[in-house]
Amino acid sequence: MNRMTEALAIQGLSYRRNQKQILKDVNLTLPTGQIVGLLGANGAGKTTLMRLIAGSAINFRGTIDVAGVTKAPQRKGQISFSAQMAGFNPNWRVGQVADVMTALFPDFRTADFLQLAQLLDLDQKQRIKRLSKGNQRKLQLAVTLSRRAALYLLDEPFDGIDVMTRKAMLSSILRWTPEQATLVISDHHVSDIDQLLDQVVVIKDQTVVAQEAADTIRAKGQSIEAYFESFYGGEQHD
Amino acid sequence: MEFDDKVPIYFQIEQYIDREIIVGNLAPGAQVPAVRQLALTLTVNVNTIQRALAELIREGILVSERGKGNFVTTDTQVLAQMKKRVIQGELAGTYDHLASLGMAPAEMVAALEEYIKERKGGESHD
Repeated sequence: MNRMTEALAIQGLSYRRNQKQILKDVNLTLPTGQIVGLLGANGAGKTTLMRLIAGSAINFRGTIDVAGVTKAPQRKGQISFSAQMAGFNPNWRVGQVADVMTALFPDFRTADFLQLAQLLDLDQKQRIKRLSKGNQRKLQLAVTLSRRAALYLLDEPFDGIDVMTRKAMLSSILRWTPEQATLVISDHHVSDIDQLLDQVVVIKDQTVVAQEAADTIRAKGQSIEAYFESFYGGEQHD
Repeated sequence: MEFDDKVPIYFQIEQYIDREIIVGNLAPGAQVPAVRQLALTLTVNVNTIQRALAELIREGILVSERGKGNFVTTDTQVLAQMKKRVIQGELAGTYDHLASLGMAPAEMVAALEEYIKERKGGESHD
């Protein structure tokens, strides 16, 4: 395996929490420079997998390698995760978030953040707690994309987002993701993101059950949505 | 641009660029927008654009000039062939449908001529 061409390499990853198996024997390799859809029903383990990759969840079995780095503290420097502002003070204003991010992450680009905030129509003076759910999602995206990382993890970025806002967010993702970086988007409404994807990874029954190039699926006359649903045949997934 | 979600997107982008050339939005010898610009315009990722452009270069419809970008070929024969292929692609489905109705080729031609005449007549009224 050539490490230079891999953004992520997971081997034999298993994770339990409160006596409950959340993930078991996950193996997953993602190349650099791709947009990847992480698909799975609610509760399938998408968020947990992202938290493990990002180093926010620990005590797992197996190895997680991000851009050649395996230890959690170093791995964090390679990853920009949409949940990284989870602990922020809700009284801070949008503009202050940039100052905090700059202090926390040397790779944070304030100029990019200001452009993104403008493109996404975020008011710099607004307090985080006063933002609508949609605007909180937009702020998360702006913060995540303003870092220069090898791997970007966006956990359900379009949850509660209207069509017009989604378009602006998709453009932001295309414009601000560095060429060599890989971006993983989890979503349970595949049609939100399908035209952006190089490949999809399907999670079911606590593990990765499929990984396929998006255009390979379409070349067989199948939509990404139908492909995803074929793994959850007949089950309620929303 | 709206994509058919059951057809590879790189292939739909090839068709899009073919059409841009046929209708004259991209003239022979004209420079094709940069990969990243096309990705933003069409809201698809850069790799998909690159794959579509690579196919068009392989077919000789686009010519890549190192360090400068991609250009529409000035070879009119290649462009004429491409246009013929696109038209044939449009007609193929119609032909198959009419054939499945048991129509003979001469009947198809007559029906098409009549349709065009009526359609033209209809359009001149508005």
